[in-house]
Amino acid sequence: MGYAVETLHLTKVFKGEKQRGKRQHVTAVDHIDLTIEPGELFGLLGPNGAGKTTLIKMLCTIILPTEGTAKVNGYDILREPEKVRSSFGWFHGEPGGRSLYWRLSAEDNLRFYAYLQNVPKAIAEKRIDALLDFFDLSEERRKLVKDYSTGMKVRVMLARALLHNPPLLFMDEPTIGLDTLSAVETRHLLHALSVELRKTIVFTSHNMYEVEQLCKRVAIMRRGRIIVDASPAVLRDMIQDVRAIEVEIKGKNHPAELGPRLVAVPGVKQVIEQREEADTVVIRLQVDDEYDAIPRLTERLHVDGVKVSAIRQVEPTLEDIFVRLTSGR
Amino acid sequence: MDVHGLVDLFREEAPQASSELLHVWAVFWANFKIFLSYRTWVITETLSTVASIAMYSLMGLQVEAKRLGETGYGSTSWLAFALVGVASVNYLWMCINRISHSMQNEVREGTLEQIIASPIRLRSYIIGQSIRGFLVSGYFMLGVLLVGIFLLQAPLVVTVETILSFGIIVLVMVGSYIGIGVMTAGIILVYKKADPLTFLFISITEFLGGVLFPLNYLKNYPLLWTLAWFMPYTYALDAARRVLLTGSSLTSPAVLTDLVVLTLYLVISLPLGLRVFRWGYNRIRDEGTVATY
Repeated sequence: MGYAVETLHLTKVFKGEKQRGKRQHVTAVDHIDLTIEPGELFGLLGPNGAGKTTLIKMLCTIILPTEGTAKVNGYDILREPEKVRSSFGWFHGEPGGRSLYWRLSAEDNLRFYAYLQNVPKAIAEKRIDALLDFFDLSEERRKLVKDYSTGMKVRVMLARALLHNPPLLFMDEPTIGLDTLSAVETRHLLHALSVELRKTIVFTSHNMYEVEQLCKRVAIMRRGRIIVDASPAVLRDMIQDVRAIEVEIKGKNHPAELGPRLVAVPGVKQVIEQREEADTVVIRLQVDDEYDAIPRLTERLHVDGVKVSAIRQVEPTLEDIFVRLTSGR
Repeated sequence: MDVHGLVDLFREEAPQASSELLHVWAVFWANFKIFLSYRTWVITETLSTVASIAMYSLMGLQVEAKRLGETGYGSTSWLAFALVGVASVNYLWMCINRISHSMQNEVREGTLEQIIASPIRLRSYIIGQSIRGFLVSGYFMLGVLLVGIFLLQAPLVVTVETILSFGIIVLVMVGSYIGIGVMTAGIILVYKKADPLTFLFISITEFLGGVLFPLNYLKNYPLLWTLAWFMPYTYALDAARRVLLTGSSLTSPAVLTDLVVLTLYLVISLPLGLRVFRWGYNRIRDEGTVATY
């Protein structure tokens, strides 16, 4: 069997606005050669504007490539778009769940897409019941989507992507807008679909943790190109020289400028991540030498009157790799 | 349902036979349900239709019966004369507006990307939207005619034959404009807005088609008179009035001529409209503007 996804010099150049009489072109995807095996759980990372969504939309036949071509489940995206469209499910975390019909209920939205995807009626009804139950929407299945919260809309969109049981899933930031529990359940489901049913999953996210947990292979995009394509373990080896520490601060009443102030401490390179956990704020920093940075940071935070509950050296994660590769440092 | 239950459910393979008929039905059904969710709009639109017909009946009192004899549709009342015009032009306007703006709504609401990413053919989508447009517009046209006939006693020739004939004329009339509707849909996809153009189009159609006055009045203005007979609507309205005001049949030479002209418009404009639509569809896929966020 061939690849689930195979691209050859796939390129997209958008015509930009005219500036001083000259049209400015934007290369969103730049000669990408990529292969994804059937059953693979493939992570695609990159900062905003890196070209991830454009790449996925070209594979979904929504956007036409400027150059190059691609095959999805063995079908050419330019010559056999209809066959391509039957062979994948697509989730795109648009702002506010706009890709749903807001004046239809969740079950009517799903019914509509089931018909478009040629799912027989009896099977469609069975799957709609199961998916609404799984995503905890059964009780409000007849309510119009316009009255749903963002998280509920995201869950309907996830159900829609799975409804026709395609062999390939494009999951473009599937946990965006979900509460923690739903995000965990969704990750479990994607993992099970990949492992047990050998579905190919192309997964994009800004949450490095979930990419690291889920994906066997990760590609990082920057300015339309794939700059790294490897397993998370190999990627971690690439940054053995990266030193990272985490500072755990009690309470959440800290000034927004705390991160930048910590970067001003000698030996601190940059803030990688700032996240809230229960009643603490965790700031992850990249440093030159952890043994040198920890006492300096402790002193600085003490002077500023910040209550530090823990400060520790941590293993580099995909986040560190991502920041390093995409910031060019 | 837990993860394992769902995975087990998806172990069952389902036969997926593509059915265009099912796609047409899905588009029609979803859009009709969306229409029904706008209850307030349906009620206010119905009331405004009834109010406008009542206004026309009062306006008709000002028109001399003698002058209406010059219309070429026998001795009739101005209300009956105007009623056929208003009912047909409203129907045409609502149908074409539905076809031309359906995709614009999908772009605005961000749903077109999902439509494109599914196996539905564009023709199935357009047919589904059109059927919804025909039915909803039909409700308002029927309302206009029923109020006119039963409430205001407009003297229309109402028999099974004339009703069926009128129905056929209306369908052929919409057919003659479908090419323009599809063409406009393609243009709107690219330029995102065409409301001023569509309003201009419908105003010209109402004026040159002679919705509220006998077309003979334009004879003194050769340019307008010529332009009027370039519009398919003029032929459709002529045929509809002959049937409903004088009881002519579809096989009468005047009505038959009108129908042949309308069919010619359909045959010429539809392929052209589909080409423009295909151009617009591919252009937004090239520009990446299938959805506007």
